[in-house]
Amino acid sequence: MTGRGISRREFAKSAVAIGGTAALAACLDRGSASVPEGTDDPSTLPERQHAWNDALATDDAGNPRMPRHHVLLLLDYAGDGTPIDAHRERVETALRDLERAYEWSTEGLLFTLGYGPAYFERFGSGPAGVDLPEPEALAPFEDPAFDTPDALLHLASDDERVVLEAEEALKGTRETANDREMTASFDGILTESDRRTGFIGAGLPADNQDVEGVPDSEPVPEESPLFMGFKSGFKGNQATEDRVTVASGPFADGTTQHLSKIRLQLQQWYEQDSRDQRVSKMFCPAHAAEDRVEGVGENLGTDSGMDECPEDAVESGRRNGVVGHSQKMVSAREDDSPRILRRDFDSTDGGQAGLHFLSLQGSIADFVATREAMNGTDVAENSAVGQRVNNGILQYMNVERRGNYLVPPRSLRSLPPASPSK
Amino acid sequence: MNRRRFLAGAGLAGITALAGCGSLSTQSTRAPPLVEDRPDATYRPTHVEGMGMAGMAQAGDYMVGLTYSFPHRFWTVTGTTAEKVDIRSEDSLHLMATVWDPETEMVLPVSAGLSITVERDGDPVADKPPWPMVSQNMGFHYGDNYALDGDGVYQVTVRVNGMSERRLGAFSGRFGEAGETTVDFDFRQSTLEQLSFERLPDTQGDRGAVDLMNMDMIPTSQAPEVSALPGTVLGTSKGRDAVYVASWLRDAAFLDDGQSYLAVSVRTPYNRVPLPMMSLDGRVEADGEAVFEDALTATVHPDIGYHYGAVVETDASEPSVGVDVIAPPQVSRHEGYETAFLATPSFSF
Repeated sequence: MTGRGISRREFAKSAVAIGGTAALAACLDRGSASVPEGTDDPSTLPERQHAWNDALATDDAGNPRMPRHHVLLLLDYAGDGTPIDAHRERVETALRDLERAYEWSTEGLLFTLGYGPAYFERFGSGPAGVDLPEPEALAPFEDPAFDTPDALLHLASDDERVVLEAEEALKGTRETANDREMTASFDGILTESDRRTGFIGAGLPADNQDVEGVPDSEPVPEESPLFMGFKSGFKGNQATEDRVTVASGPFADGTTQHLSKIRLQLQQWYEQDSRDQRVSKMFCPAHAAEDRVEGVGENLGTDSGMDECPEDAVESGRRNGVVGHSQKMVSAREDDSPRILRRDFDSTDGGQAGLHFLSLQGSIADFVATREAMNGTDVAENSAVGQRVNNGILQYMNVERRGNYLVPPRSLRSLPPASPSK
Repeated sequence: MNRRRFLAGAGLAGITALAGCGSLSTQSTRAPPLVEDRPDATYRPTHVEGMGMAGMAQAGDYMVGLTYSFPHRFWTVTGTTAEKVDIRSEDSLHLMATVWDPETEMVLPVSAGLSITVERDGDPVADKPPWPMVSQNMGFHYGDNYALDGDGVYQVTVRVNGMSERRLGAFSGRFGEAGETTVDFDFRQSTLEQLSFERLPDTQGDRGAVDLMNMDMIPTSQAPEVSALPGTVLGTSKGRDAVYVASWLRDAAFLDDGQSYLAVSVRTPYNRVPLPMMSLDGRVEADGEAVFEDALTATVHPDIGYHYGAVVETDASEPSVGVDVIAPPQVSRHEGYETAFLATPSFSF
């Protein structure tokens, strides 16, 4: 008799989560600071759509800091068969309009446009030189549905107004973006099949914690960038942009993208686990025993300090009865580097605490290998560690959807052929 | 018969009436102060709760029984530390799931775990995977305290993941796949309040355990009697204070010629509840030669039950066996078990 169901249904959504012209109007009323304008010369922008790091702000420790607000649009091509040149031109014009309107930065707008296997099927073959498999379940204990849109657009900015306005401009419901005229839109070419939103950065998870999956005790720390109460995306735990870039073939300078939609349930995490248990499960038991993590982990600097944790996660798990999430990820490194570049963020879509786990990697196989390390099935085998209990943070999350995409280089971003001649 | 039980019930009703519908006051009544100076061993808890049936259904290879009781405190375990979980004011009940094989009626501790989502008319009410747990009267089960929205019919969906434990004998090839089922649970606060709640003031804190409950519909999780274990029993030892039984099989159907099998069955004292989710190392010497030294694998077998085992390349009949506990059972504990089975002893048989 908590009345919980009712209060949850009435939760206050952020403008970005609501979306649309009304949300944008409310947002424009709120904000006054001007948004930096973009460039008339597209050649000044990087050929890699995913080259964001140089444009990102950094935190005090020097880690690249993700833009705070995000919109993901899953899009289907309106035509039958392969895209026509007129559509290509309009998509490209619309994207260039955005680049003219907003600076390529976190104060302005960063975006990528990628394509899924369903898109390339229109050409009867996968993208040349890139293995882009259909998504699949990646753990014995998950049962995800699969996203199969033609395209995935990712819009990101520190400014809520920018992601909302850019979205409306692309959809053709707004004639200007940052007071610059839009000369084309996606209208009639790419139609929305799903819209997902989210945020990352200190304050936002705490402000948005009145959702399913976070207990009513409002446990998310104000300074935490993510719902789970710790920082992530340390520079030392991320692949470089070079590493995740497709090296050769017509899609060189592109990257592959995996997007999963993860449901979080944090009641046990916050109300049953102790701080030591949370640190053990997120990082490693040694971090908890030595009190190495202060607050949300600001003191860790530019990596999660895995050099200080036992290297053999299987043996450590057997001895400690618990294994850390970061600790397991060490085994996924290749040439002493992580294989994926995380660009994930939290979400309140559907009134549910979630995580849109968006990651970039040279090939989807890099993601699969990384996820396999996170599964910790090797640790659970012959060990007191359960498949989800005491096995990193697996107990607190459920993967609901998965999708794979190719983010082409900027010059091929607009409805590319499967085998472009370059 | 039971005056104490009657009085406890009457006391409860009185407090409830006095406080209107104060869940806090009923809660404190139902969580008597913990015993002071609890022994580092199995001990009799402050009270025993009755249990109600919420539903039962088949989920793939598994049978799932859902039962409930009053919300109660329990302890999660990481490593050798037990961490107390307190009752929240919004908790309505302690929901428990028991998973068993419908053919042998053996309760299966699945370390891959299960998920439970509770909905009401399509709206989410609760969503969390229950902890693997041991309790003196319920044995091994999965459980947690859940907050519901009062009386009504709830849809409880249980997904049991595929077992990653080794399965031998008639279990081979079974339980590899996940199974899912949804049951309607008609929850009534008044029905919950009618469950028994028996204080044990005279024996609480004593070493010992209350009896396993006998349920009509749901099998209880018990390891076989030592005398019923197949093969040769090499010995029985006591840790702090789990019971370790090592047995040696030379002619099981799953063995090839020249192979034997070491099985270590770890169970609670008094009730023989199997203790899963441990790390054990084993050593076997035969005729003065080391023939095995490695981790033992969590395994289920219809006659041996849940145990930790290894196929050993020898046909020796009198091996000498060493067992090291590397990590104690990482299962959550109901009251009376939270100070036991947290040590890492070594044995030789």
